[in-house]
Amino acid sequence: MSTYKNKPVFWLFVAPCLFAFVMVMIIPFILGVYYSFTDWNAVSMNINWVGISNYREVFSNPRFLHSFYITTMYALLNIVAVNVVAFALALLVTGKLKGANFYRSGFFIPNLIGGLVLGFLWQFILNTVLPSTGSVMGIEWLRNLMPLAKPNQALGSIVVVSTWQYAGYIMMIYIAGIQNVSDSLLEAAQIDGATYFQRLRHILFPMIAPAFTIASFLTLVNSFKQFDVNVSLTNGGPPKTFMDMTVNSTDLLALNIYKEAFTYNRLYSAQARSVIFFIVLTGVSLIQVYFNKKREVEL
Amino acid sequence: MKLIKILALALACVLSAGIMFGCVSDDGAEGGSAASDVTEITIYNNKVEIDEALKAFAATYEAETGVRVNVRTAGGDVSYSVSLKADMQGGTEPEIFVLEGPSGFADYNDRLTDLSDQPWVEDTTLEYIHEGKVMGFPVSIEGYGLAYNMAVLEQAEIDPATLVNYAAVEAAFAKIDSMKDELGLDAVISFPASGGMTWVTGLHNWNTYLTNGLAYDDYSVADLMMNGEVDEDRLAAYARYVNMLFKYSDQRVLLAGTYDDQINAFVQQKTAFIHQGNWAEPNLYGAGMDFDVAFAPHPYLDEDTDGIFVAAPSWYVVNNLAPNADAAKDFLAYLASNPNGHDYMVNQAGMVPAFDSVELLPSGQLSQSMLEWVAAGKIYNWQQYRMPDGFGMDTLGPIFTQLANGDIDEAEFCARIAAEVATLKQ
Repeated sequence: MSTYKNKPVFWLFVAPCLFAFVMVMIIPFILGVYYSFTDWNAVSMNINWVGISNYREVFSNPRFLHSFYITTMYALLNIVAVNVVAFALALLVTGKLKGANFYRSGFFIPNLIGGLVLGFLWQFILNTVLPSTGSVMGIEWLRNLMPLAKPNQALGSIVVVSTWQYAGYIMMIYIAGIQNVSDSLLEAAQIDGATYFQRLRHILFPMIAPAFTIASFLTLVNSFKQFDVNVSLTNGGPPKTFMDMTVNSTDLLALNIYKEAFTYNRLYSAQARSVIFFIVLTGVSLIQVYFNKKREVEL
Repeated sequence: MKLIKILALALACVLSAGIMFGCVSDDGAEGGSAASDVTEITIYNNKVEIDEALKAFAATYEAETGVRVNVRTAGGDVSYSVSLKADMQGGTEPEIFVLEGPSGFADYNDRLTDLSDQPWVEDTTLEYIHEGKVMGFPVSIEGYGLAYNMAVLEQAEIDPATLVNYAAVEAAFAKIDSMKDELGLDAVISFPASGGMTWVTGLHNWNTYLTNGLAYDDYSVADLMMNGEVDEDRLAAYARYVNMLFKYSDQRVLLAGTYDDQINAFVQQKTAFIHQGNWAEPNLYGAGMDFDVAFAPHPYLDEDTDGIFVAAPSWYVVNNLAPNADAAKDFLAYLASNPNGHDYMVNQAGMVPAFDSVELLPSGQLSQSMLEWVAAGKIYNWQQYRMPDGFGMDTLGPIFTQLANGDIDEAEFCARIAAEVATLKQ
């Protein structure tokens, strides 16, 4: 950039993007941080400065702490599930499979369906289709299955649905990575007598480390920001007991913030939560990228 | 090379200019419509089901008075308040919008218009009074209780008129439960306590704790609650009743049911009772209900409490920050007094108006049953909207769900409700 002489042209090109970015990202962000220090409710004309009391309230709120805890659990489960499934699918469709291209698009398609729709679809499957299949086929446990009414199973259901939705997308990243690995490396190893898993472990994994960095970053951020499937599949429920209180077992952070803002009408406290959410998410993803980058190899 | 640079520069100019003009031309369009002579008002409607009827009525109104009425509809109570706020944040102020109780009236205090001098105020008892002034126009009246299938109760030889105290309703439920096979039922009542249905438990059912057996303007239990306290004996009796309803409820509807599941269980005559109000009529008849129904009370106390729960749940308010607030007042007056307005409310929108001058009768049996209770003067108020937003559905609701799925018992249910109510003390 410093070597670039024609500054006016540079700024003219940047201006449209910069304008949009400032209007829809920077200004709302600064406003949001400001509102988190006030008693703003989006309606009243009186906005009073309240200092850090919103933040203090948030950190002593068991529901928010639970939400943080459950989101972390969900993120861990989801990162593992999505990446394992996506990598397995990628290996499958880059292998000597007939109709590999057909499968590739097949696995990718769920990603094109909106999360809200998917959530309602799977809610119907889990609440209605599975039990009626059970009663038709006379399978008692399937008939009595109510995964969305049990706390742990409900969280698991979100993992399953979001994996089903997102694995196809991450698979594409892995495919691109795998296709970039030159066959000669793998063949040489094979001639030297390396087994399939040795080739996987010592050649493929290090070679596609950049793909791992990207894929785990995307799944990490995506898992923490999970909202649409959460809303339509469970809407936070079913409840469970946490610190002697009734809390919603699948109340992930984004949903928690949304509800704080729009059903409890406490936008000030929701803003404080969003700021905390932003700081944590930025921190976690920077750490993750830093450590993954260290594993990448250059040829 | 130079040519390319010039070309690039030109393109960049076009892009930047596009953004600028994009904004400007937008403003221009708005200015254009405001400049025309037609007075326009916007009504922000929260009921998806009456959207078409309201638009048709708006057209009639425009034909008669020349005032254009724009109908904006945003469904469900959550997305309604979200989109209303978003519009107001964006600088669009609708003339008329809907509020549902004290917290809403407090939030929108800056926008409320005094309607005390309006002609319809004399014609109703359910106007909303905020800070001593009439601020809200009752949209309709709604009522709920234990809705029952008349034929089933007759067959089980239960007189619904006797269901006025806990002993009687408990005995009736036990009797129907023991006769399930002959009556062809799966369960006694269709009553969901699942995640998406906490408006039934946390709002409507909880309101029976607040008002059952009290005079219509008696706010003592609700005031106690807003002061962070519960009436322990009353709460215990209430918990006993809720637990009994859960016990005799269809378990799949109870734990994983949606609104449709609840309606269908009742319409297919798999349950004798349903915990819903007259607003469910379009869904009930839509699902093919062809048997006689009526309301019974929610009698959870040992002494007799003979009445159902009827009130105006929402009010139209006039926004004084909107350009044509006076035209909006005229629109509401027309709605309350003109035969066209009555026809729209009763026949087209299927609502029960809160105005004495309306002589049209609703067609649904639940609405008719509700009006019988109203005529007999046996009604209790709705006071659940005195709670802060979200408290009923999202704070209390999950506690009901836990009682329903057996995570907690009655005593723990009371303790957790008391603990949450304690947080309401300011």
